[in-house]
Amino acid sequence: MNGHVKSMHFGQFMEPVTTLLSLLLLMAVDSTRIVAASRNQQCGNSLQQTLKLTRLIQKESVDLIKTYKASQGEMSELLCKVSVPIVPDPKISGMDTSEKIVSIYTHLQAFLPHLKRVYEQQTDLQLPTSPVLDGLTRVSAHSRNLAALINIFYQSLFPNVPIQEPAGGPTALPPPQNVFQQKVYGCVVLKTYKELLANVSKELRTLKNNKCKRI
Amino acid sequence: MESAGQMLMLAALMLTAHAGSQNYLLTFPHPKFVRVGSNFTATCVIINRTEVTADDLYWNLSETILPREHYSKINNSAISVTFTVTSDKPEWLFCLCRNPSPNIVLNQGLYMHGIYLQKGYAVQQPPGNLSCVALQENTYISGTITCEWRDSGPQTEQDPIIYTLHVRDMTQGNYTTTTKTKAQVSLGTYPNHMNLEIWVEAKNSLGMVESEHLKEEANWFVKTNPPSDISVISEKSFPTSLLLNWTLPIDKSYFRLMYRIRFTTEGANTWTDVPQEDTSQDIQSFRLQNLQPGTKYISQVSCKNARRGHGRWSDWSNNATKWTPEAPPRGKPDLWMTILGSPNANGQNVQIACKDPVHSNGRITMFSLMIKAHRVTNASTQLENTTEMISRSGDITVLKQVPIPDHQSTQVFLTAINSVGQSEKAFLGVPERGKERPSVEDLRVSSQDGRLLVEWRLPRSSEVSEFVVEWVGRGQMDWQKENKSTTRTHITGPLEPFVCYRVSVYVLRSGWSSKATSVEAFLKEGAPSEAPSVSLLGVPGHDGAHLVWTQIPPERSRGFISTYTIYYRTGDATRAVTVLGNSSSYKLTSLSPDTTYDTWITASTIAGSYKGSTHSFTTQKYAPGEIEGIVVGVSLGFLFFFLMIVLLCFYKKDVIRENFWPRIPDPGESTIKNWSPDYSLKADLPRESCVSGISVLDVDVCDGRSLFDEEKAGLPLKKDKFLSEEHSSGIGGSSCMSSPRQSVSDSDEGGDMADTTASTVQYSSVVASSGYKGQTPAQPTLFSRSESTQPLLDCEENPDTSAQEGSRQSQRCSRPTGNNLSPQGAALREELQPLDFCSLPEDAENNTPAEHQSAASASSYMPQLGGYRPQ
Repeated sequence: MNGHVKSMHFGQFMEPVTTLLSLLLLMAVDSTRIVAASRNQQCGNSLQQTLKLTRLIQKESVDLIKTYKASQGEMSELLCKVSVPIVPDPKISGMDTSEKIVSIYTHLQAFLPHLKRVYEQQTDLQLPTSPVLDGLTRVSAHSRNLAALINIFYQSLFPNVPIQEPAGGPTALPPPQNVFQQKVYGCVVLKTYKELLANVSKELRTLKNNKCKRI
Repeated sequence: MESAGQMLMLAALMLTAHAGSQNYLLTFPHPKFVRVGSNFTATCVIINRTEVTADDLYWNLSETILPREHYSKINNSAISVTFTVTSDKPEWLFCLCRNPSPNIVLNQGLYMHGIYLQKGYAVQQPPGNLSCVALQENTYISGTITCEWRDSGPQTEQDPIIYTLHVRDMTQGNYTTTTKTKAQVSLGTYPNHMNLEIWVEAKNSLGMVESEHLKEEANWFVKTNPPSDISVISEKSFPTSLLLNWTLPIDKSYFRLMYRIRFTTEGANTWTDVPQEDTSQDIQSFRLQNLQPGTKYISQVSCKNARRGHGRWSDWSNNATKWTPEAPPRGKPDLWMTILGSPNANGQNVQIACKDPVHSNGRITMFSLMIKAHRVTNASTQLENTTEMISRSGDITVLKQVPIPDHQSTQVFLTAINSVGQSEKAFLGVPERGKERPSVEDLRVSSQDGRLLVEWRLPRSSEVSEFVVEWVGRGQMDWQKENKSTTRTHITGPLEPFVCYRVSVYVLRSGWSSKATSVEAFLKEGAPSEAPSVSLLGVPGHDGAHLVWTQIPPERSRGFISTYTIYYRTGDATRAVTVLGNSSSYKLTSLSPDTTYDTWITASTIAGSYKGSTHSFTTQKYAPGEIEGIVVGVSLGFLFFFLMIVLLCFYKKDVIRENFWPRIPDPGESTIKNWSPDYSLKADLPRESCVSGISVLDVDVCDGRSLFDEEKAGLPLKKDKFLSEEHSSGIGGSSCMSSPRQSVSDSDEGGDMADTTASTVQYSSVVASSGYKGQTPAQPTLFSRSESTQPLLDCEENPDTSAQEGSRQSQRCSRPTGNNLSPQGAALREELQPLDFCSLPEDAENNTPAEHQSAASASSYMPQLGGYRPQ
């Protein structure tokens, strides 16, 4: 009887303690999650924004290639199958995150002069109201914005290391070309740029999955 | 320190002013703008003049002299003024001189200087409620951002607030300026997925403030086009469902979209929204459920950025319309019948009508109607089974008009049919006429909140299934059914104002209808649109008139006629009488006789009145019987007067006789016959003084004019008279030459009376001698007087013939004596003959000699004269 009473007293004592401990544990876990969520939110917002813009440019580049091919007349399909060595390689290089982000940034910066050159060439070949020109304008503008976002993302990850500008001075552009060469050049630039964007998107998704979760 | 600085400024200004200006007064400062509400201080300085001091200066602001208590004298040649700027209009502040010296007066333009004050307000508050939007253009977002904001407070025309809208992202920025509160900024390419910072600067000469900075992702401001190509799919296997499909207005790479969907049935005024949680996902189709089968639905879709708080809802898409598949009708049709006209000897006609079942689940194409009539007397039952679709007016379908004879109850069964199936059977029973159960009590209908409120009290018998509220107006009938516990309800059907509705409430007991309890009501009363024309009942009276009019029927009165006001006017006086609205006649009283009245009537409701046409009538001059009274009165008066005359004549006959019929001496009774032959004429000779020897009976002596009148009356008679009188004058009492004239004067009353009078007055004879005394001086004048009272002539008894037979009468009358003419008489006649020319000197001129001869020869008084026997 007494034992039973003691047991009851003990039980009565243990019950609020257990509740309190549970509450404290819950609060600790929740605060941890809040901190993690906050960090992830920062990482996610920046990277998510970059990734969305990459997808948008990717989609726009796909549309632009279609529009471009449609505007170049006959043999447009063959134009993009020719190799043009002066166009940058779309592959992202680097071993770690920093190098990859820098590589992305460098490639984007490298393609901007090519896109500008294509725009200039197409200005001579197309009417001012041509959708090709509009598409090129948007892709170029969004590419500049993407480069800026990559830079900001890099700064958010490595605030003490400034991102390096492309080495070797200004991007090499092709010499004066005839119309066919211009058409081929333009299509190759757009096609290569699309591949670059695909690679960037892939890398950013990988970063999103790895980097932001770890943080 | 402040005054020292002011003095230095003064000195500097004086130097500069002296170099560049001819004015002897100088004011400062000259600010570009002055803030409204601030205190402004201006200073005026006298330059190189001694005849003017600071005491002579004064300030004038917009032609109003500023009070001196605002002045502050700096020294003998400078004065300042401080005042509060109140008006926001630009104005001049002048420093003027009031010294009256001739030099100043002549050079007044040099002794003044002004400051042009342009006003402005400090920017009081930052532009608020900044909101921006970027619209979709083709398949992408336009690079132009449109922003709106609230203004920053008052401003003046001289110093308006300039707003600058700034938009900036990571790589670029742009701005635009405006004086309005709306502006656009173009960024070339819209920076999707980039962060934007947008703000507005408000600036004028007196300050600058900034609005809050909107820092959001660019897609936060996007408003896309609505979803396009909305298609609705109806599937027969799902009659309560429709499937919506649409096309995304913008690619998913810009952002994910969320949607909102709404739908309604055709003709309905309200939309039903699909819950947001069902459409917040990235979808391109949605299935609407729990719809009514066989119903036409209209759907719309809208979209926005799915990210919470981002983007704006697009406009609604175009309507997507589709019918849901039909299903068998659910429930019963709403069956009702209304009595047409009044019951007659053969019974009554009723019209069977119905409404579709609440859930008709499609278009009702047909109604199956069965009427069962049961005659009580022989307990026979007649069945009439028809399937028909008659006419549809709105949601009411008129099925059939059937006569229901007396002593017969009727049962009606009805089912509604659509393309898929049929409804349950509705029943309505009409009991035998005269055996209906009682209806509700204390039925009241009133207008409330633009609707008609119907209230009643439950009948004593509680076996009530439901109530039917029926209303009829402008020939349109409608009804609604209420459950058995209802005692007040609003009429749900569309009602029009100013229309009289007859509202009836029936009680249904197990489907059998009761008697009706009815009242009339208006949803809203208005002033009547017409007024009755007043007319007279019969003929207007002497002081009254009976007016009648026809009451305005409720369907045209636009309200309950509360009163009729009768106006009647004569001249400028108008009087009015007000009677109740149920009156149709009125008797005007206290009217003036023989007066024209204009009368009209105004019909009044609680909302106003309307004046009817004017009718005029004239009251009679005399009251009925008044004329007859006057005639009778006059007649009685005349009769009384006549009787009085008669009585007077009767009682005064002697006097009358003496006056009108004087006693004439009868010659037969005259004593002349007793005269003695020996009577000495000489002794009886009249005195010489009576030259004429005439006894004057009338002063009208020798009146030739009278003679002329007599001639006009009857010349032949006159001739005889003259002749007669000439001769009778010898008989008459007058011996004057006018004695014959006397006889004529006596006959002035007329030809009829002439002889009578002549005969009656010829009671004397005159022997004229003295007038011709000169001719017969030797012969004395003879005069004799007859005392006879007898008429000399019996012709008075026959006056009608006297005129024609005057001559003969004279002869006849004189005949008794003519035959006895003695020689003395003949001699006397010869002496008297000249008398013929005495009294008628003018007559003699008018009469021809032959007539004289005739008259002379026809004289028959000679025998009478012979009565005078020679002396």
